[in-house]
Amino acid sequence: MSGANKQKAAVRQRKMTKKQFIATYGSLIGLIALIIIITVIRPRFLGGANIRNVLRNASINGLLAVGMTFVVLTGGIDLSVGAIMGCAGMYSAYFAQAVLGYPVIVAVLIGLAVGLAFGLFNGFCIAYLRVPAFVGTLGAMSVADGLKFLLTDAKPIPNLNEEFEFIGGGSIGPIPVPCIIMVIVLIICFVLLYKTRYGRYVFAVGGNQNAAHVSGINTKKIIFSVYILAGVLSALAGIIMTARVTSGVTSTGDGYETDAIAMVVIGGTSLAGGKGRLWGTIVGIMIMQVLSTGLDMLGVNTYYQMLVKGFVVIGAVMLDSLSSD
Amino acid sequence: MKKKSMMKVFAVLMTAAMAFGLTACGSDGGNEGSEPSSEASTTEQSTAQDSTAEDSTAEESGGGTAGAEGLKIGATYYTLQTEFCMRMDNEAKKWAKENGVEYTSYDGNNDASKQLEQVETMIADGVDAIILNPQDADACSACVDAAVEAGIPIVGVNTMVNNDQLTAYVGSEDVSAGEEIMQYMIDYMDSDAFNIVVIEGPMGQSAQLQRYEGITNVLADYPDIEILAIDTANWSRSEAMTLMETWLTTYGEEIDAVVSENDEMALGAREAIKAQGLDIPCIGIDGITDAVAAVESGDMIASDFQNAEGQIRGALDTAVKCVNGEDYEKEVWIPFEMITPDNYADYQGRY
Repeated sequence: MSGANKQKAAVRQRKMTKKQFIATYGSLIGLIALIIIITVIRPRFLGGANIRNVLRNASINGLLAVGMTFVVLTGGIDLSVGAIMGCAGMYSAYFAQAVLGYPVIVAVLIGLAVGLAFGLFNGFCIAYLRVPAFVGTLGAMSVADGLKFLLTDAKPIPNLNEEFEFIGGGSIGPIPVPCIIMVIVLIICFVLLYKTRYGRYVFAVGGNQNAAHVSGINTKKIIFSVYILAGVLSALAGIIMTARVTSGVTSTGDGYETDAIAMVVIGGTSLAGGKGRLWGTIVGIMIMQVLSTGLDMLGVNTYYQMLVKGFVVIGAVMLDSLSSD
Repeated sequence: MKKKSMMKVFAVLMTAAMAFGLTACGSDGGNEGSEPSSEASTTEQSTAQDSTAEDSTAEESGGGTAGAEGLKIGATYYTLQTEFCMRMDNEAKKWAKENGVEYTSYDGNNDASKQLEQVETMIADGVDAIILNPQDADACSACVDAAVEAGIPIVGVNTMVNNDQLTAYVGSEDVSAGEEIMQYMIDYMDSDAFNIVVIEGPMGQSAQLQRYEGITNVLADYPDIEILAIDTANWSRSEAMTLMETWLTTYGEEIDAVVSENDEMALGAREAIKAQGLDIPCIGIDGITDAVAAVESGDMIASDFQNAEGQIRGALDTAVKCVNGEDYEKEVWIPFEMITPDNYADYQGRY
């Protein structure tokens, strides 16, 4: 009797795990399938040079998504990440001009300071002044765009310090510098999110802000902090990107916020907050990057690429919500 | 509870809006894209039918390219979402079919870093030559460095890039386009004292800088032509319309003529002018389909046609020569052609 019950329970559990399996690993399976399909048609896709390209680009664009994951986990959204990226890139380019002769660290710190400032601004508005995240960061996006254009009247900044350019274009051994930076950022973020009390609070605030507040968590402080993280990581992406294209350009980061949000939701993080996973975001980043490079390599018409990307985002979220119900 | 369900609704709305935005862009562009491609395939069919005739004319006009067979060429355009770049891409596809070349085109999506990424993808994909239509003269310099480092010839087309190592450049001199439209407007007005407004392209882009330089070159000889106002409308028809509305409110009938650095903006300005019941002559550059129609209907006095087909063919020819180690010209200039009420019919249905 009890044995049969146990069996039933075990079967039910296995069924549950099957569903959970799809929810958890669906996007990863999708990514692997995608890589296989592209490689079968175009074997060079898995060539060393191309893998380095894909990883380097994923590292830069992915920084936005890593920051965004924290924001989305608290139930917020940051629309200003692309604009902060562009703005920080321009300001660090300004101080990285070879003629000015500042050390590289100055340019980097200035860029990060821009990101920090926007993060503080966003966080303060949203956590303490009760501006909705959507509105607050939309405003910040416009402010960042304005400051970016004001610096040089929209003119690009060429002739950067060669050491500065190393941050984006260089590599240590076979590994591109942006990838190394990304790995360091990821290690810090994984520890923060999964090994510290802070990480648990981030999930708690997103899950139920009132309950989190009642249980003694300083929810405002947590919300404040995630926007700072997103701002600084966006700035870091901007600095690396600027170093990579070897000049400060105002178009950097334009529209990247939508890609970043897409990467996060493909990775299974819920826009309602409280539910999600950082490694899922890594899968999301890779899916978007593999799609972009792979479809280009296959010579897929750019308009079809847009269609594909749109359906991938919807499909991933659909899969996630259907299998988690 | 209530709050959570509201968040859910919000989330669904967000994704829906985002997805809708994505697909809307896609379907919009899809229509635009499918039209020229079907057109291209019909022309391809006709080329196949009278291939002998085509060959001889091609040789006469220098359209056929010797030694191109079997090559693999990649091209990155700063965007494939405007008519001009689509024309280049379609012509390149046609050329590739004619010459047995494996051709892949990339959409830079107005993003210099995206173009760098694409150049690197092409290098990894083992192309023989790269065609670069840069988004920005300085930012795309890194594309050239990447290609040079890989030992692959890289030919610039249509817009300049600031890099000495660029293998070759094929384009039209935007300065002369600026000079030509300004001079045409002065001849049309038949006066050397009137007021104009100038609508500019995106600030800092080489086409904007050079076309404006051309306009001022001519104006230097006409001190009594006054520029009442000058501002950018970013090549955009709708932005130009708004800009013109503002200027009409400010200056009204003081404005005698509109000089625009491209057709889209000239057409936008003209719409604003017509909406006010006025008739101020407009002139633009590029010779897009709508502009040819506008010259026919009298909405634009003329448009300076930029030969997209000639430019991309020139670039591809040069690229092939580079790959085969033949002599080539480092700079090839394709002249602009003025579309006027007398000759507009020649440009109808050209693409």
